[in-house]
Amino acid sequence: MSSAGVPHTDLWPLLLYFELVLVVVGTMLALPPFLGERRTRRTPATEQPYESGIVAVGSSQLRFSVRFYLIAIFFVIFDLEAVFIFAWAIAFRESGWPGYIEILIFIGVLVATLVYLWRIGALDWRTPRQRGIEATIHQ
Amino acid sequence: MILLWLILVPLIGGLLSLPAGRRRDNAPRWLALAALAGETALLLAVFADTVPESTWLAQIDWAWIPRFGIRIHLALDGLSLLLIALTVFLGFVAVLCSWTEIRERPGFFHFNLLWTLAGVIGVFLALDLFLFFFFWEVMLIPMYLLIGIWGHENRAYAAMKFFIFTQVSGLLMLIAILALVFLHYQTTRTLSFDYFELLEADLYPGAARWIMLGFFVAFTVKLPAVPFHTWLPDAHTQAPTGGSVLLAGVLLKTGAYGLLRFVIPLFPGAAQDFAPFAMTLGAVSILYAAKLAFAQTDLKRLIAYTSVSHMGFVLLGAFAGNAQALQGAVMTMLAHGVSAAALFMVAGALQERLHTRDMDAMGGLWTLTPRIGAITLFFSVAALGMPGLGNFVGEFLVLLGSFRVDTVLTAFAALGLILAPVYALYVMQRAFHGPASRHEVRDFGLREMGVMLCLVTATAWMGLHPQSMLAYTDAMMNGLTRTLAQRGT
Amino acid sequence: MTADALTALLPFIVLSAAAVAVMLAIAIRRSFRLVFWLTVGGLLAGLSTLPHASPVAPLQVTDLLRIDAYGLFFHALFLLSALVVALLCLAYFRRRENENEEIFVLLLTSTLGALLLVSSAHLAMFFLGLEVLTISLFPMIAYSVRASRPLEAGIKYLLLSGLASSFLMFGMALVYGDLGVLSFEQIGAHGAELEQKPLALAGLFLILAAIGFKLSLVPFHLWTPDVYQGAPAPVTAFLATVSKASVFALLLRFFTAAHAERSETFLCVLGLLAVVSILAGNLLALLQVSLKRLLAYSSIAHMGYLLTGFVAAGLLRRDLQTETIAFYLAAYTVTSLAAFGAISALSDDDRESDRLSDYAGLFWRSPWLAAVLTLSLLSLAGIPLTVGFVGKFYVFAVGVQAETWPLVATVVIGSGIGIYYYLRVVLTMIQPAGVGQRVTLHPAAGTALAAAALVILAAGLFPQPLIDAAANVPQPPPTADSP
Repeated sequence: MSSAGVPHTDLWPLLLYFELVLVVVGTMLALPPFLGERRTRRTPATEQPYESGIVAVGSSQLRFSVRFYLIAIFFVIFDLEAVFIFAWAIAFRESGWPGYIEILIFIGVLVATLVYLWRIGALDWRTPRQRGIEATIHQ
Repeated sequence: MILLWLILVPLIGGLLSLPAGRRRDNAPRWLALAALAGETALLLAVFADTVPESTWLAQIDWAWIPRFGIRIHLALDGLSLLLIALTVFLGFVAVLCSWTEIRERPGFFHFNLLWTLAGVIGVFLALDLFLFFFFWEVMLIPMYLLIGIWGHENRAYAAMKFFIFTQVSGLLMLIAILALVFLHYQTTRTLSFDYFELLEADLYPGAARWIMLGFFVAFTVKLPAVPFHTWLPDAHTQAPTGGSVLLAGVLLKTGAYGLLRFVIPLFPGAAQDFAPFAMTLGAVSILYAAKLAFAQTDLKRLIAYTSVSHMGFVLLGAFAGNAQALQGAVMTMLAHGVSAAALFMVAGALQERLHTRDMDAMGGLWTLTPRIGAITLFFSVAALGMPGLGNFVGEFLVLLGSFRVDTVLTAFAALGLILAPVYALYVMQRAFHGPASRHEVRDFGLREMGVMLCLVTATAWMGLHPQSMLAYTDAMMNGLTRTLAQRGT
Repeated sequence: MTADALTALLPFIVLSAAAVAVMLAIAIRRSFRLVFWLTVGGLLAGLSTLPHASPVAPLQVTDLLRIDAYGLFFHALFLLSALVVALLCLAYFRRRENENEEIFVLLLTSTLGALLLVSSAHLAMFFLGLEVLTISLFPMIAYSVRASRPLEAGIKYLLLSGLASSFLMFGMALVYGDLGVLSFEQIGAHGAELEQKPLALAGLFLILAAIGFKLSLVPFHLWTPDVYQGAPAPVTAFLATVSKASVFALLLRFFTAAHAERSETFLCVLGLLAVVSILAGNLLALLQVSLKRLLAYSSIAHMGYLLTGFVAAGLLRRDLQTETIAFYLAAYTVTSLAAFGAISALSDDDRESDRLSDYAGLFWRSPWLAAVLTLSLLSLAGIPLTVGFVGKFYVFAVGVQAETWPLVATVVIGSGIGIYYYLRVVLTMIQPAGVGQRVTLHPAAGTALAAAALVILAAGLFPQPLIDAAANVPQPPPTADSP
């Protein structure tokens, strides 16, 4: 961490980069109307995903079960926590006992969260209806 | 200690009347009377062990918020004593005249009534500027509720207008107080809101002028004087009778009291510079409000405008700056308190009986209700300044005093004495003379006549023996005149 | 890590442990009452650690946290507020079966975030605390997930908070890029040359914009009314008090540490924000028919008053600034808790009593509840007898002393307008009874309201103890310019 900071003269590459980003994005947005096909006449086919004549089947707006997202979120969260553990593992010797205790607490909280998720049934793949059916079968 | 009890007794009485109202309707009424009787006893105790000549009769001074040097500093002098006596007296009147009028939630009504009284008494006693502001604002809320709950058809509007006018002007006063305190702090390095401490404050004239204006605006809104008077007709008209009595009799006097107690002593130089303007405002109030009063058909509204007109005399007298005018202002305050209360009571009684305040719908009431007629005649005559009654003494002294200061203005103000008979007699003519509009109207009963006779006696006493009152404020007014003479030169 | 540091960190440790414990308790057995008592226990335990932490203060714990009297004052305030909110939640969510316990976990974590925020001494901790607070708030706002209003409010808050966070990050990046430091103290060391460092100054302004979002200062206020209205009433109470107060406390700490008050530009911008917030907040509140929206706009105005005090006192003395802000925030917190608490007590998860017409005749249907609501409205309006008056008195006192007349005039105008809409609510409540039925008050909500009302009155009549608590706060940040 340099306490002197970055001199302003060294910032110009950053600014240039920033400008370039704007230019590129602007170009990408501005050019297509000129380069692409002129659509003067709109037909029903214009609105189709495939203008080549193949008629699309079904709706593109599929409904996914919300559980997919839940699992995805869990994955992201626990995956991210693993990064912290990696970071600790690399500095295992330097961080010593305090680091060890800290990571234990960290993992402890993670385990507690996992227990909680398991108990409230967030890891259960079935829908409530399926669970109900299963319960009646097992009776 | 006795001063603290003066404030606490109505507060406690108010709190007690809340549960009392749930059991029986009459319980809070008697409770309120008992609290006021307690007040009277306390006042008599103060009267008994003091001589009118001494300036400060009793004081208490306790720490409150040391961080800002704010103290609970209560003190009583002749002026406060007279005004508190008026407050308690009108408190009785307000309770008695609401006896049959207020049927809804009497417990809460009397709670608000007594708390308003406590706030007003606090204003008259407080000598710490923060404490003064505290009471100044505290009395607004119960008054607001009185108008807002038990008022007439347009009560919400009137209550809101009343509150916003006084509150915003009060904030200006708060800023003026703070400016005064901090200027004083800069020179002396002591942070204090104490009246006596701030009397010594050394202000440069420019600052003094602005700070004085802050106070002046707050007090003239309350008084009220002409540009700031518009809240008053609405509030008076819509308030229940008890509320109107308190508003006209007592709350307006806090504005006048503020002028006499704070504006002039704290800023004698600035006040003197400002006097011509203030006196002009007073004269304009007298004439303009009298003219407006003449144009009203609503009885309560008419009386409200006459209040503005009479308080113009107070403003005129307060800034004339000699002992006669100042004494006249005090006398006008007391006499107007009594007479306006009586007139509002009459208006309230008529409304209760006829269910209208419109004078066009009245007429010929004299034959039906001779007692009401006689009482109205008496107080109309008092209001128009008949010699021998209290109002005359006050207005005469004011004019006498201000004549020495500004002849032309006084001549104009004196025109008010011609306009007053016009509206006063107009009321008599329209409401009580002419062909009878009704068949049967209940006249004043024993309770109402009792109250009215007390008010009549008070007015006559003030007219015939004013010295008994003036003696109490003599010392203070002379002191004020001296201060003005010193700083003015 | 020394024993002192551990003692100083105890409030955080206890609160985190409480959150985990409550979560595990839910995993083991769902019981609303049990979880509630655990939460209360955790908050009380957190409070009980404060007296132990105060002797070791001021203490810098690592680069990130600084435990001092200023922070501890707010810790106490937030823990007590969370306690009140917990009581309100118990009453509000009582009808919902099997899914109401998590609100307490979120309450604990968001309180933890607020605590971290006021104690942070480093931009990283600032961000962390803010995110812990905000992320816990998203689900709290959208907690009544079956209704559309809370969901909408939650999404709005999520999006705009995300925007604010990105502003914050960008601002921090600019500051770091220009100065090369992240801790408040080191930023302050550069204070004198700040005007010559355009990038750092721009960064500070971006951070200010992010804070403006959280405080809902005009022109960053657009989310406020919708979120206030949509969120369940106890959550709104939490949002209006703990969330705002913690961000404002941080604003003071950060900008005094960074010596932003030395920059004329900065004070001008802050003053301008204050004026605009006061006027816009009050004017927009005038015609609202929803009490929660009305209070939302009034909160915008109050943040403007606070900022006025901040600017004016900043021109005078540092300790006066701390005292003014700490007192006003405490006053505002208590008052808002009472106001939103009253709304919460009248509502539950199924039905929010939000429209003004729901309050018609409340004075006669439920006198105590109406009295508390009136008291809190009067306190918001700054009428004597209430703690709000003393708060406003502080603002006027510093404003007059610093002779910032335009700001003082704005506060007067704002207060004048404010009275109108506060009294409009009171007028509605004193309308003749007849509409609606009598209200039964849940004991938990009753307790919370009684406590809040008592504090409003007691601190309004005898403010000295609260002033002492707010003023004993020594200077929050270390002065970098001391030799």
